[in-house]
Amino acid sequence: MCLGIPMQIKGIDGFVAHCEAKGVRRDVNLFLLQEANLQPGDYVLVHVGYALQKISEAHARSAWELFDKILQSEAEQYHA
Amino acid sequence: MPNPDSHTQAEQKKWLEKIRALALPEKVRIMNVCGGHERAISMAGLRSVLPDNIELIPGPGCPVCICPEEDVYDAIQLALQENVTLVAFGDMLRVPVNVPRGEVKSLEQARAAGADIRPIASPMEAVQLAQQLAHQQVVFFATGFETTTAPVAAMLAAGVPDNLSVLLSARLTWPAVAMLLDSETPGFDALVAPGHVSTVMGAEEWRFVADKHHLPAAVAGFTAESLLAGFYSTLRQLDEDKAFLDNCYPEAVTAEGNPAARKILDQVMEVVDANWRGVGVIPASGFALRGAYKKHDARKRFPVLQNDHAARRRVGAMPPGCDCARVVLGKLYPNECRLYGSACTPRSPIGPCMVSDEGACRIWWSSGVREPVTTTQDEAQDKLSQHMVV
Ligand code: SF4
Repeated sequence: MCLGIPMQIKGIDGFVAHCEAKGVRRDVNLFLLQEANLQPGDYVLVHVGYALQKISEAHARSAWELFDKILQSEAEQYHA
Repeated sequence: MPNPDSHTQAEQKKWLEKIRALALPEKVRIMNVCGGHERAISMAGLRSVLPDNIELIPGPGCPVCICPEEDVYDAIQLALQENVTLVAFGDMLRVPVNVPRGEVKSLEQARAAGADIRPIASPMEAVQLAQQLAHQQVVFFATGFETTTAPVAAMLAAGVPDNLSVLLSARLTWPAVAMLLDSETPGFDALVAPGHVSTVMGAEEWRFVADKHHLPAAVAGFTAESLLAGFYSTLRQLDEDKAFLDNCYPEAVTAEGNPAARKILDQVMEVVDANWRGVGVIPASGFALRGAYKKHDARKRFPVLQNDHAARRRVGAMPPGCDCARVVLGKLYPNECRLYGSACTPRSPIGPCMVSDEGACRIWWSSGVREPVTTTQDEAQDKLSQHMVV
């Protein structure tokens, strides 16, 4: 789905960032943000393994909350 | 410290009060064109908390649903007839094509019949696989809207092994909205534009809705607050009879989007006319590989992809009885399809709108709408109130 997931950059290695979101670690491709001068600690919106945009920490947190709600309500429906 | 939940609830309440205070016409239809929006709306039960005269219509927001039947058919035939490894986003594997009973009708069935088909979650996996299987042709069946197409372009721009080719079936979002607005019956009065598509392409892409068609438009994010802010913006524009483009998702969306992503997309692909399943050809709504990237075009590499679809195709692009074509265009609510919930459920889907996580039928079903048309829209939506966040 066209829904990006916020992740925090932990380390950068060329075009690949080691990212984390709520304990889950992923390698994220930075090719689409090569002009953004990203640093460890920054938050990015990730879709299909690619960072699409840099976002603020506050926005990352509110988006995570939303995902929790969606996942939770889906799990409830699925087991209903 | 204030509880963040009570903060968001207060925000939602504030927007709802503002919406209720507007003098609105008897019926207002707000369309969204994003599976993520429709899911957030359904999960949060927003339909049941808005005033009755406001209808929220899921429009063309599911790339899996509108991926042409012939492209899925081609992918199936390629995987069955050639010695290739075919990779695709997981959602595509169960999408049915319209073939006579007994023939292979999905990538999943082709896989069961022995074809090497693998679901992937990222273009990077396609590259890794092509590196591992250096002596094997790997074909990436690439579907999706701009959020997915930009990464596919980035994958190609960064350089891929020669044995990797792309069966490109990507689409732009806005031309479908333009097509509806150019038709005699668009079926909506205001648009909530997709958040993350705009993150990449920029809010400005939607300006034509207000400038050319004089319909209110607002880019919105995916929280209930952001969606409600988007609804309020468009409703207020209607109320004041002044249509413009509003950005209610400044946290992730700028006027220009991600310029680097747009540049890469433009370097690798050109925009071409393209077919939408059940809808027909929409001008300048698809992509083709440019110049040097053409050597990774699977259609050029494999003659088996030149199938005569007119000769084999049965009536219509959707499976018999399936109303996806009208659901996709917002002409019909999912539960108005005669097969919804009876013959067609997520466990045994008939049409692509029930297969994909972004399909309106699937979203409505997973958010609890179990009633077919016999009950009214409002009653069905009221059942969602258990998921209400407001
Ligand atoms: S309920 Fe099933 S058959 Fe009906 S429109 Fe949706 S996907 Fe098609």
